[in-house]
Amino acid sequence: MKVLDESGKSVAAGSKLMLEDLGLPVAGEHGALIVFWKRQ
Amino acid sequence: MVYVGPFETADSCRKWKEEYDLTFPVVPDEEGVLFQRLTSGWVPWSILVGPDGEVLFSENEFDETGFSVAIARLFHQEAEAEPAAPESTQPTPTARGAPDTANIVILGGGAGGVVAANKLRKRLGPDHRIVVIDRSPDHLFQSSLLWLMVGDRREDQIRRPLERLTRKGIEFLHDEVLEIDLERRRVRTREGPIHFDYLIVALGAQTIPESVEGFSEMAHDLYSLEGCRNIQKALDTFTGGRVGVLVTSMPFKCPAAPYEAALLIESYLRTRGVRDRSEIHLYTPEHQPMPVAETALGGAIVEILRRRGIHFHPLFTFEKIRPDTREIVAADGHAERVDLLIAVPPHRAPEVVRSSGLLGVSGWIHVDPETLRTEHEGVFAIGDVTAIRLPSGKSLPKAGVFAHNEAEVVASQIAYEIRGRGRQARFDGKGYCWIEIGDGRAGFAGGRFYSDPEPRVRIARPGRLWHWGKVAFEKWWLRRWF
Repeated sequence: MKVLDESGKSVAAGSKLMLEDLGLPVAGEHGALIVFWKRQ
Repeated sequence: MVYVGPFETADSCRKWKEEYDLTFPVVPDEEGVLFQRLTSGWVPWSILVGPDGEVLFSENEFDETGFSVAIARLFHQEAEAEPAAPESTQPTPTARGAPDTANIVILGGGAGGVVAANKLRKRLGPDHRIVVIDRSPDHLFQSSLLWLMVGDRREDQIRRPLERLTRKGIEFLHDEVLEIDLERRRVRTREGPIHFDYLIVALGAQTIPESVEGFSEMAHDLYSLEGCRNIQKALDTFTGGRVGVLVTSMPFKCPAAPYEAALLIESYLRTRGVRDRSEIHLYTPEHQPMPVAETALGGAIVEILRRRGIHFHPLFTFEKIRPDTREIVAADGHAERVDLLIAVPPHRAPEVVRSSGLLGVSGWIHVDPETLRTEHEGVFAIGDVTAIRLPSGKSLPKAGVFAHNEAEVVASQIAYEIRGRGRQARFDGKGYCWIEIGDGRAGFAGGRFYSDPEPRVRIARPGRLWHWGKVAFEKWWLRRWF
């Protein structure tokens, strides 16, 4: 699973995130906003 | 837009989507793998990804200015202001020669400001001016508010007049900072402008309970002196019912405080003989206590809560307080009734910092993790007002111990620059804290937060020794710096 950026660190601004590999919908023409949220 | 539901199943996500008529994908993250990897361990968390997979923004409740910058970048438009680089590990080289008589201005008389002033005064001769500015006349030893809350401290035991710093040759201005003018290298206060050669921003985090609907009518503020005074009165007259300890949003300073508060209250109600008529509930957006540290630390605290009969509600997406029905309400409308509510208010960078141009995309000041320098020459920031991204991708917690250690580093950096000799210390991310659990006992957690790939933090078994260690530390700290 390619969750880590090239330096092996967790995601931060500037790193790459391969959405498809994570099982997430691929970014659209202008990108994607992923929100972690929880229903109570 | 995509919602990811940590610890949700495909079925619960489908119901969630239908119930709220969501038009975008809702993806389950059943084991919390994505959540653990991509967030700091709490909700909500937002990640803006460009079409090429580049992460433009990865923060919790985002700062509007920072988010606008990221959006502007996404659309290849020119942003008005670029954020500071979050993860530089190199110190900013200084081209400027050090002045013969430097004006060092320190904004804030909290833990960081007080330690920086003391350390600089010790290292520099009397030709160099050191000025601390704070709108409060007193330093408040904040971690002792928890003891004040349960009647174990009086106010005068945990406050010290900042005027005492003048006995050491440090100037103290009891004044409010209205503007930080980086271009003209001066700060403006009510009394007028003050030029600086070096500036240390140690203004901490501003708490904004007024931003929460219903807070002033129903909640007691765990992070203010007045709030803790009121909690003490409320606990003294409490005859039983449901006590709620609520974390309204992330991040907040002193990550153990709400857990300590719940445990101290549990102990206090037991002593008063009303525990069997009471329930204690703790609500937080975090997945586990102190999520930046190893899972074992959070797990140990959850286990202590469980043994003491305190109900833990993680990943609680709080939205508002409804005083008429005495309920706290989550973003999806779920409500919980509470008789006595003790809350951690939202935090943000102080207004004067927000308008200074120092803010990064996170809504806090981004600094070099080792030198605490900002991208502006001679301008440093320490403590709760900063955001430091750890090698793990998570953020360094906001806590007094880090402000203290960072202050020592900044003092050595500035003194070295002025004197041209001595030691240039680097901040190594070491930190520790005591965790009060009531009944005169405490735990102790500490370690290296800059460890790669994850912080290495250990918790010592709670006992009376650690509690007395915390008492001794409080007394030492207040005597040492005042």
